Amino acid sequence: MIKHSDAAGANALGRKPIDWRRAGLVFLSRYGTIVGLLLMIVFFSIMAPNTFFSRANFLNILSQASLTAIIAAGLTYTLVVGEFDLSVGFVASFVGLIVVGFMSYQGLPIWLSIAGALAVGIGKADPDGELVTKVRINAVIATLGVGTMLTGLGFSYSAFPIASGIPRAFTNISLSRVLFGIPNPVFFMAGILAVLWVILNRTDIGQKMQAVGANIEAARLSGIRVDRIKMFAFATAGFCAAITGTLLSSLLGSGTLGVGDGYLLDAFAAVFLGSATLREGQFHIVGTFVGVLILAVGFNGLAILGAPTNYQPIFKGGILILAVGMSTLARRYAASR
Amino acid sequence: MLASQPSEASADGGSANARSPEGWMEIRGLTKSFAGEVALAEADLDIARGKVHGLVGANGAGKSTLIRCLAGVTTADRGRITIDGEDLHQGSPQASERAGLAFIHQELNLIPHFSALQNMLLGVRKVTRFGLIDWKRSSVRARAAAERVGMHFPLETTVSELSVAERWLVMIGKALMRDARLIAMDEPTASLSGPESEKLFSIIRDLSLNGVAILYVSHRLEEVLDLCDRITVLRDGRIVDAAERGRLDKKGLVRAIIGHDIRSPEDREHFTADKSGKPIFSARDVSWRDSVRDVSFDVFPGEVLALGGLVGAGRTELAHLVAGVQRPGTGHFALDGKPLASRNEAEAVETGIALVPEERRSQGLMLQHSLAINMNIASLSNLRSIPALPFLSTSKARRQAEGLVRRLGIKTPSIDTKIASLSGGNQQKALIARWLNSGIRLLILDEPSRGVDVGAREEIHGAIRALARSGVGIILISSDVEELAILADRVLVMAPHRGTHRSRDHRGPHHRAQLSYR
Repeated sequence: MIKHSDAAGANALGRKPIDWRRAGLVFLSRYGTIVGLLLMIVFFSIMAPNTFFSRANFLNILSQASLTAIIAAGLTYTLVVGEFDLSVGFVASFVGLIVVGFMSYQGLPIWLSIAGALAVGIGKADPDGELVTKVRINAVIATLGVGTMLTGLGFSYSAFPIASGIPRAFTNISLSRVLFGIPNPVFFMAGILAVLWVILNRTDIGQKMQAVGANIEAARLSGIRVDRIKMFAFATAGFCAAITGTLLSSLLGSGTLGVGDGYLLDAFAAVFLGSATLREGQFHIVGTFVGVLILAVGFNGLAILGAPTNYQPIFKGGILILAVGMSTLARRYAASR
Repeated sequence: MLASQPSEASADGGSANARSPEGWMEIRGLTKSFAGEVALAEADLDIARGKVHGLVGANGAGKSTLIRCLAGVTTADRGRITIDGEDLHQGSPQASERAGLAFIHQELNLIPHFSALQNMLLGVRKVTRFGLIDWKRSSVRARAAAERVGMHFPLETTVSELSVAERWLVMIGKALMRDARLIAMDEPTASLSGPESEKLFSIIRDLSLNGVAILYVSHRLEEVLDLCDRITVLRDGRIVDAAERGRLDKKGLVRAIIGHDIRSPEDREHFTADKSGKPIFSARDVSWRDSVRDVSFDVFPGEVLALGGLVGAGRTELAHLVAGVQRPGTGHFALDGKPLASRNEAEAVETGIALVPEERRSQGLMLQHSLAINMNIASLSNLRSIPALPFLSTSKARRQAEGLVRRLGIKTPSIDTKIASLSGGNQQKALIARWLNSGIRLLILDEPSRGVDVGAREEIHGAIRALARSGVGIILISSDVEELAILADRVLVMAPHRGTHRSRDHRGPHHRAQLSYR
């Protein structure tokens, strides 16, 4: 009984003794990923001071990170509205193939090929969006189905890698370094992330996306056209996946089936790591970027330390589980308050 | 604290070991709050074998919290529950079931495409032969239980084919099979017809003769007065009265439930709306499935039209129809005399019709977001830096949110505080605030002061009145008789049974206030 009155007294003053366990959880759920990233950088820098800790390598990491960051930022939008898009990797692959095909087989000019490829990326969101919002198929299934069909379409478009007839100007888009010796994809990434950040945080549609993700019923009753907002998120994801696919083919100088499939897992891992960053369990662009850096630094460091390539999938899978776990815990913690 | 009626044996203040046939279950000092809202405060209650205990109170008075604590679904902050002198392990549904407590909720927890028998046997260890279920031997007890409650239909019938009354029998049978010693029933007659209710009552009396205790929760006071041996009244989370049969009459019970006599009309601001003018909104012959039948009404500018009637009378459904959540089967709506086509929520909001829903948490709040976002979400177009471009001005958003906080007296450390950490009353104010800058014409409020403390309630009422005074039409749904009396200019009473839907104007708050407590 005395205990109770004590507690009541403390509450009345609006003051509680500091709960260290709780404070630790708050810290971990907000800054855990950033601390992890910094620790990784310190670790690799100590282990490989000359190779890892150099300007050239950091640029290399950023360059590698940029393609993942673009596709992951688009994916972030679908998660913000409470949906999923499992097709982003397939879209990147398909677009990467046809953008090269447009130039090589159809002989289209570069700008038209790229415009067409991006249009395919955005257009692919339409069946996804319709299936999810109108037919109400679970987004996991809808996007997996549409994505798989894209793989088949890609196969019928060109069963063999396309390596000839690709203009130098196209490969230069990603290979050249226009400013300060920084690879071009880094600028693409910076630009796209900035635009997506502004849309999400500083526009009507961004606020509405967040509302839809937070409570779809409340969003509906607030007069938000939920279906349109979801379509927009899917379209953004498709657009970003198409950019990643295009840049990928430009980097490789060829178009190959299934070349972008692997980005799906990376993107998911990054987005979930991101949702456990700074905000408790919410998906956001800055967080996604941190998540991408964790993956890129991890891969790069492991490679430099000479870890065999079969460690990569283990690292990737482990990070994915860790990321989703942290994100879930963060969300549960946020909900329990 | 008004202590519960002490039974002879436990008069010494709840010594747990004082065994008696009377005080079979003792609840002492049970307290629970949610996010700072006290749902149940220091509840003491004795439950005796073979007695029918009535539990009454307005919505949000703490009845369901008490039941959820007993069921082990919610863990009380403090307090004890003892059965036969032994502490019940709280927060564990399994422990509650083992102790012989069974719960039948309004939305009967049956699996629709399982048979009655399968449902009754759910979770019971079945007799197996060679690893396969031996249905015949497993069902012996189920059939005995079915016999006891008079289930005169084959137990193999799929539940979805049974009537609501028959489903109740299945639930009771299921409880008996598990040797339930206490069966709690939540609004059992809400969806039963007259004769079906009578049958249920005779089953309840029969059960109590056989030593089963019944905890009977209902808004229908006559039933409670008629059926229960002892009535406990909850108000604002506290037990305010506990009476043996015969001590309370209906008037006394109503007084205990709402705290005082129903207010006289003089307390209320008088209806100032211009009824000679044109209605802002009208509904004609609106029907939807079985819940809403041929409802017609008008709402005038500045008027608060209340929908009275019991839970389950179709009020929320009607609100959903008006707000575009559902489309009516037949009938039509008009705004400012112009017919409204079939529409969804977004289109309704565009025309200026909005709903503040009953389920605040699941349908209204974006819990992980700030108070500011929650209030601004329906008026984003006001907050653009340049009206033609979709970019939001952070300073405009702040100014609007701060203005709303002041206007409604929302108590919050800042507009950036997460709405989840505010009290229920302040959350509700934020949900009303959401519409104040959105050019609203008609606002529907579904149970706006449920689970809200008295002070916040006054402020919410003030906000509703201010909104009405500015010419907005208000449709108010409330199970709180007093609230209807204070706020409503007119009350439309909806009756729960099919085919008996009548919408009437009842003038004189005194008279109409009692109507919904029939």
